[in-house]
Amino acid sequence: MRAKLRTVGDAAVLALSGRIAIGIGDSQLTDTVSRLLDGGARRIVVDLQKVSYMDSSGLGALVACRRTAEGQGVPLVLLRPTGKVHDLLQLTGLTQLFRVYEDEGESLARE
Amino acid sequence: MSSQSRLTLAFPSDVKHVDLLHTLSDTVSGEVGFTEDQALNLALAVREAAINAVKHGNALDARKKVIVSFEFGGPDVVVTVEDRGTGFDPEKTPDPTRPENLHRASGRGFLLMKSFVDEVDVLPRPGGGNIVRLVKHAPGSGNGA
Repeated sequence: MRAKLRTVGDAAVLALSGRIAIGIGDSQLTDTVSRLLDGGARRIVVDLQKVSYMDSSGLGALVACRRTAEGQGVPLVLLRPTGKVHDLLQLTGLTQLFRVYEDEGESLARE
Repeated sequence: MSSQSRLTLAFPSDVKHVDLLHTLSDTVSGEVGFTEDQALNLALAVREAAINAVKHGNALDARKKVIVSFEFGGPDVVVTVEDRGTGFDPEKTPDPTRPENLHRASGRGFLLMKSFVDEVDVLPRPGGGNIVRLVKHAPGSGNGA
């Protein structure tokens, strides 16, 4: 997994690529989100457009990141899941847990 | 391809070996003519069965081996994943899609297995442990792979 970070105001946009699976990015993702929270991010947008697939560990890492962030009052939302990642989120019901956006501008807007 | 083939891999209980299995699964999928999506589905199911065997079956005990076999060349690709654990009952696995379980960081592996292959069976292993048997119909088998 690779991660590219941009900041937009007090929001962090984390663009991930590759795969998020056991031993390949799952702990890297949770560590990265923890650092963003420590750094004062007030909203985290996880861009999944270039993620090819996730396994249950990758999905679990995403859920753990959301739980940590929301526990600190920081929304963590998903942007542009495609292909297999979109299917996995649907299949596991996680589209009910996460706010999922197709447009970055909308993902950055406050509810 | 007409002849039946069998590949078997035994490895210590460490999740770092799961990627090797994924590669082997992709190779088998190439041999039987699965599409890219079908190949990824099989590989994801194999990954989940192996992760389950390493973490929950053998409890990350590196002295205990996980044994994975791929049988292909016939109407089905059959993958068996054996551990030496104390066994588990998939019927007792909480449904990860229920609202009260969505926030859990684990518990989705069996759902992914069931979703990505045509059959999943969990059998007791003679001498102790589990055998997870995954079946995916091969292209042209008449089973609608």
